[in-house]
Amino acid sequence: MKQCLAIIGHLGSALLLLGRSLRFTGTLLRQFPRFVEQCYLIGYTSLPIVTILLFFIGSVLALQSGYSMENFGAKQFIGTLVGLSTVRELGPVMVAILIAGRVGSAITAELASMKVYQEIDALITMNIPPERMLVLPRLAAIIVMMPVLTLIGILCGWFGGALTCQYTHSISIDSEVYFTALKQFMKNRDVADGLIKAEIFGFVIVLICCHLGLSTRGGPREIGASVTRAVVTSLIFILVLDFFVTKGLLLVP
Amino acid sequence: MNNTSQTIRVGLFFLLGLALAWITFEALNGGRIFKQQGYALLAGFGNLKGLKAGDEIRMAGVKIGSVQLTRLASHRVEAVLTIESGTKIPNDAVATVEQSSLLGSNYLAVTFGTPAGPLLKDGDEIRTKSTTDLNEVIAQLGNLGSKLEQFIGNMDKTMGGGESGNLFQRLDKLVTDNGPKLTETIGNLQDITGKIKNGEGTLGRLINDPKMHDELLASVSQIKGAAADARAFMADSKAIVADIKSGKGSIGALLYDDATANNLKISVQNIRDVTTKINSGQGTLGKLLAEDTLYRDAQGLMKKANRALDGLSDQGPITAVGVVANALF
Repeated sequence: MKQCLAIIGHLGSALLLLGRSLRFTGTLLRQFPRFVEQCYLIGYTSLPIVTILLFFIGSVLALQSGYSMENFGAKQFIGTLVGLSTVRELGPVMVAILIAGRVGSAITAELASMKVYQEIDALITMNIPPERMLVLPRLAAIIVMMPVLTLIGILCGWFGGALTCQYTHSISIDSEVYFTALKQFMKNRDVADGLIKAEIFGFVIVLICCHLGLSTRGGPREIGASVTRAVVTSLIFILVLDFFVTKGLLLVP
Repeated sequence: MNNTSQTIRVGLFFLLGLALAWITFEALNGGRIFKQQGYALLAGFGNLKGLKAGDEIRMAGVKIGSVQLTRLASHRVEAVLTIESGTKIPNDAVATVEQSSLLGSNYLAVTFGTPAGPLLKDGDEIRTKSTTDLNEVIAQLGNLGSKLEQFIGNMDKTMGGGESGNLFQRLDKLVTDNGPKLTETIGNLQDITGKIKNGEGTLGRLINDPKMHDELLASVSQIKGAAADARAFMADSKAIVADIKSGKGSIGALLYDDATANNLKISVQNIRDVTTKINSGQGTLGKLLAEDTLYRDAQGLMKKANRALDGLSDQGPITAVGVVANALF
């Protein structure tokens, strides 16, 4: 019961944090350098790991589907399978998990240490709301960077699948056939759905991590605890939200 | 890390993302980023059966291009094909929409055509042929099935139920009613076959006796000989008829020579004249036939002669003696 209340309390304070941050949206232009810095940290530095991860996820997906679809002679539809599953599910989710692990943890650690070492209190004393200076640029950065990262990741996944199909002896599907099959059943809507999902995930991750970082109390040990909690919560939220967001997007005609 | 390079990197990164997004959406829309090398052909169909832009065009199973776009024209569908440059398609090649799998993806198959024929150029229209698709085949199968069902139903009615057509019952009745007769017939048949087997009777001997067989063979060969004779005869007759036709020989002359015919006519005329004269009693012969005076004279003469001869025979020996005496004296 107490834990349930704690969860609801966290939810509420996270939403309040969001509300307080959005009140400063107008100041975003004035702190543009900070926003660019966050974009650099969140987006640009995550690019290598996103490309590598999604490339191999696409390859493995092609390999596995080639192995299983060979049994009923649907090998030419590997492109469809890899393409759709990457764009609708694996791309957004994998990028979100990467962001949660790589960026979310960093945000929580930074904010938690600032909180623990009373830098946040100092900011408040100087009448600088931490939401304006710390949370809003991050939220804005993730909104801008998440679709870009996801799209690059999806394309890497597609190419990984194509390469695997072409150069794996047991599959040996020409990459042209692969991309024809991929395009055959793919609509712009699928890509848009994937990007919307990624956007929602990224936003939720940054919000959770900022909230948990700012709500840290105690000493240095609590910083580590906060980071762990932030990553775990983010992952849970990603996978639970994944289901509901997908369902909601499928409901939209 | 100085601030400017950071800004530049983020900006480039964002622009890269935008460009990739644009390319992806454009590619999925069917638009081509890289213009395909090749030439365009037009193909008109009554039904495209789900062929769409981006589908392959294959010649004998080898990809030679792709469908660029499909559009509705007046009362037909047109597909614009992009054929890889270097692929030569004669103008009598035929394009058909084929199914590459049961899952419904299609491709356009193009036949070889005559290799020496003139080639299709950019913008030409290729000949097409409509094919039956799976749905039609299945519909026809369904028709067949219903017909079969109807037929089987009829059969069923004839065999089993129904008041009029009770084939099996009637057959059964027939067999039971005529049981003794059938048994007798079969017995007789058995008898006959037994006799035949034992060589009794004509048929039996024919079957069992080798001599009979030989004789039969001999008669057959005789018949053959007769037939050959008949054939020779026929050939002769043919030759004769041919001769006649060509006017050779008497009959030929008779049939085909006008002079002969005229002669014959004159002869017949003469004969008729003669006979009329005879009939009317003119001339010696006519008188001979028509008047009985001559007959009577002849009869009288004969009588006289008879008598004279009788007289002669009475005096026979004397006369003989007299003759001898006369000779002596």
